Amino acid sequence: MRVAVFRWKALVPLLIFGMVGLGVWLLFADRIATRTAESVGTTLVGAEVEIERVHLDLPHGRVEIRGLTVASPFEALQNLLQADVLVADVDPLPLLEKKVVIDRLTATGLRFGTARATDGRRGTASDGLMGQVNHWGDQLRVPALELVTGKLEVGRLDPAQLNTPRAAAALAARADSARRAWDASLSGLNAAAIADSARRMVEGLRGAKPTDVKLLGDARRTLGQLKQAQDRATALQRSVTTGSAALQAGAAGLADARQRDYAVARGLLKLPGLDAPDIGAALFGSVAVDRFQRALYWVELGRRYMPPGLLPRATPGPRRARRAGETVRFPREHEEPAFLLKTAQLSLQLGAAGAAPPRTYAASVSGVTSDPALYGRPATASAAAPGFRLGALLDHVRPTPRDSAAASLAGVALPSLALPSLPVRLEPGVGTMALSFSVQGDQVRARWTVQAERVRWTRDSSAAAAPSSIGDLVWRVVSGIPAVEVSASLAGTIARPQLAVSSNLDRALAERLRAVAGAEVAAAERRIRAQVDSLVDGHVAPVVAQVTALGGDMTRRLGGQQAQLDDARKALEQRLRDFTRLPGVRLP
Amino acid sequence: MLLLKLVQSLIKALHSEGTPGQLAAGLALGSILGLTPLWNIHNAIVFALIVVLNVSFAGALLGWALFVPVGFLLDPAFDWIGRTLLLETPALRPLWTALYNAPVVPLTSFNNTVVLGSVVFALALWLPLFFASRWGVVRYRATVAERLKRSALYRMVTASKLYNLYRLFRPEP
Repeated sequence: MRVAVFRWKALVPLLIFGMVGLGVWLLFADRIATRTAESVGTTLVGAEVEIERVHLDLPHGRVEIRGLTVASPFEALQNLLQADVLVADVDPLPLLEKKVVIDRLTATGLRFGTARATDGRRGTASDGLMGQVNHWGDQLRVPALELVTGKLEVGRLDPAQLNTPRAAAALAARADSARRAWDASLSGLNAAAIADSARRMVEGLRGAKPTDVKLLGDARRTLGQLKQAQDRATALQRSVTTGSAALQAGAAGLADARQRDYAVARGLLKLPGLDAPDIGAALFGSVAVDRFQRALYWVELGRRYMPPGLLPRATPGPRRARRAGETVRFPREHEEPAFLLKTAQLSLQLGAAGAAPPRTYAASVSGVTSDPALYGRPATASAAAPGFRLGALLDHVRPTPRDSAAASLAGVALPSLALPSLPVRLEPGVGTMALSFSVQGDQVRARWTVQAERVRWTRDSSAAAAPSSIGDLVWRVVSGIPAVEVSASLAGTIARPQLAVSSNLDRALAERLRAVAGAEVAAAERRIRAQVDSLVDGHVAPVVAQVTALGGDMTRRLGGQQAQLDDARKALEQRLRDFTRLPGVRLP
Repeated sequence: MLLLKLVQSLIKALHSEGTPGQLAAGLALGSILGLTPLWNIHNAIVFALIVVLNVSFAGALLGWALFVPVGFLLDPAFDWIGRTLLLETPALRPLWTALYNAPVVPLTSFNNTVVLGSVVFALALWLPLFFASRWGVVRYRATVAERLKRSALYRMVTASKLYNLYRLFRPEP
């Protein structure tokens, strides 16, 4: 039976099914686009992206986004930005290649740093790019002013870190080994037996005939044994003397090891630097590092999603029930990039909350693309208004990326700053704040400055730092200073940057702190030395006693045996001399 | 419920009027739906083929149902295959670059490692699966099917209310 290959009657239902499918897609296209945009945005930014509604008007190449909220990847309950409406003119043809080319984007009602009800951060502080940036920032953190809290913190002293117990144990082992060797040598001397044999020979010679040649030979052999035993005893004595001296030197070396242990323990004292630059870093370093960290996060994000060159690039695939895999892009010269935003006009509002009504500024962005090498021009952003300037350039067109950004605010209420470990808060009031950040290849250069002429200092009763006399001192110093100038700069490679912070508070505060810190530091050092002594004494004293006792004991025992041998030899030699003085007898 | 549907599909397919070849072709096409991520354009084409070609629709449903868990299990292997083809085979790079920059083709998500790996695997499996399942259906119908129809269990199942319910939804020949 021949079976037909095609089921022609199914064509009509298939077409109907396809049309229904298309209708459903058109019906839900806006919702699908909303979810897709949220998912892609969240992956890109590393924080929750929420959109009220996306409307696709593909016949007119227009996409409208309403109610965009991007959570801050840094702050738990803060938004990075919110926008009322974004309208994008999209080129429809690249969509067939799954590429998005936006000719023009307008955004209105952009607001920054607004509050949100839930934590919008994705992942933890140690995950992915955020983890890398946090790790980078940690190496720049300077110890806070521990001294100012009224306590000098002493780290836990681990006995395993100390040298002296190890050295003492080694010395004890050497002493044991030497004792065993010397004991064996003493036993090997056999001095008592040889001396007894010599004494018996002396007795034997007493009544012997001078012509007894055999006895005379025996007496000469016994004398030889005595001499050999004496030689061995002398060699052993030299060995004991040298060995005892070495052991004594080892015991003296324990004192040096203890000094090294004091140094190790002193390293556990979290002593703050009291020079002016250290004080500046302790006061404002943390705030500056936060700013630099954020700038680096955006630069690294830009480098990740806007890489230079035309090599295939793999990015995580879409989230789905099945494994996401990786989606690989294959850019080619003279083709459209996978994403390109040619120009964007932004209307944004800036101003501190609770102060004067926020001002509205205009900004523009251009050349944001996933494939800078294809577009051939760097991405730029700029905004300018009275008292406000912003400029950014991300040049990933060439193999070595160059990123730089600078922003300054003048005549605007600046956000307050909490000084670490101090119950003091700085309200800068109206002032000037500037941040510049530049990364070329792996070289980073950044600067953050704050200038405020009429600052207000407030005591922060809720601060974690406990009240202390030194905290009071700091309060007295800073509260009399009406203006603040802070400058933090960063330079070097991204892997090993150097941070320098200075402020007009540094010198005044450093001098006062140095005056009161000396006594605190000395007391802390005494405590740590006592802690070392308590851990070391139990190991050192028995070993020193063992070494001292060993030298004396061996000398005494060896001396006794040498005396026995000497006496026996003298007696035997005397007897032999008497024996050979007999007339007519000559010793052979 | 899923198990019941699977059993229904199995009974429906194995005892249908279709030839073993139609059943095997349907099952092999259905396996592509199961092995690869569902919401992709290539699966719309596979679905259209199942409808337009004179293959067993029930067999296709059976193949889909059977191979969905296999697809989940083999996802790591698909990822590896896709990665090897897309990123670690320089000879294929011009092909992928041309396809990536061609209209419509990128909409298939061929440049996703799991999609490409699973499609390649499913296509490679298609012919062996077709011949194996055709042989299996022939053997089943020649040996087990007739004995099963005479068994008390089959008569009990077919006489049950459940089977009557199934017959209500059985497509007309």
